[in-house]
Amino acid sequence: MSPEIDSMATAFAGSAALTSLFVVLAMIGTMNPYHRPIIPVLGALLVMLSCTYMLAWTDGTAVDILALRTAMSEGVFAMIGLLPIAFLVLTALLLEASLRKRPEDPLLALLESESGSE
Amino acid sequence: MSLWAAQVWLGLSIAVIGISMHRTGPAFRRHPFGTPIALLGLAVMLIHVEQPPHPELEVVSAAVDAAFWTIPALLGTRLVLSGAPLYWKSRPLPLLAGWVLIVAGWLQYYSTSSPSLTDALSAGGSLIGILLSLAVFVLCVRTAERMTPQEPETEGLDEREMKYVASVLRRHLGVDDEP
Repeated sequence: MSPEIDSMATAFAGSAALTSLFVVLAMIGTMNPYHRPIIPVLGALLVMLSCTYMLAWTDGTAVDILALRTAMSEGVFAMIGLLPIAFLVLTALLLEASLRKRPEDPLLALLESESGSE
Repeated sequence: MSLWAAQVWLGLSIAVIGISMHRTGPAFRRHPFGTPIALLGLAVMLIHVEQPPHPELEVVSAAVDAAFWTIPALLGTRLVLSGAPLYWKSRPLPLLAGWVLIVAGWLQYYSTSSPSLTDALSAGGSLIGILLSLAVFVLCVRTAERMTPQEPETEGLDEREMKYVASVLRRHLGVDDEP
């Protein structure tokens, strides 16, 4: 496997595993009486363990806690690598928001004239 | 797994739980605790008495390196959003300060990083991985919701409830007595 494809596959498996961990943690943080978390948690654990197994298999190492930590670490590196692209999109959106003209709204104009008269 | 390695993952987990608690919105009682918990998580993740082992050491070092440009970028984004004419009139001072921070963030990023084709391919792989994981989650939620038995149909109001609802409506409409 070429180094480029290898790094792409590592980033894929790592970010999938880390996103699944984030999904589980987000469900813990937003727990409420209407949640039915068992199936989504099982799905997320399945993705995490499959990705860990895939990474350990390609590296030729044992599937243990170190493999899980390595998969999560690869996920962190992959997501940090994705941040500049996300920031580029965000910068374009912020530029659009900064340059746009606020649409005329009669209700807001009325509110402004009332606050100005006080 | 060493204690210092566990501390990194515990900190990351607390930070993500804190962000999720914050994202539940102001209607939830847990919402105000979100930001302090997220900050506590980041502190637990990044502040160590001893150096964490491999691969957590690289994780902490990558997070600290990224913080040099992500912190100005996030602060700048916040200021631009508060200064841009989104909901109210444009406020030039926060807008300008926000853009200065965003430009500083980009300059910091380019002074420390040199993006390559491998980075672009990794970012593509990472994006596909995130989407796959979210797709599995959505499918699981859909399955769980389909397996949930439907609630029986609600019965109509009885005489006492009808009187109560009518009295509430009358009070809100400003009608004093029954006809």
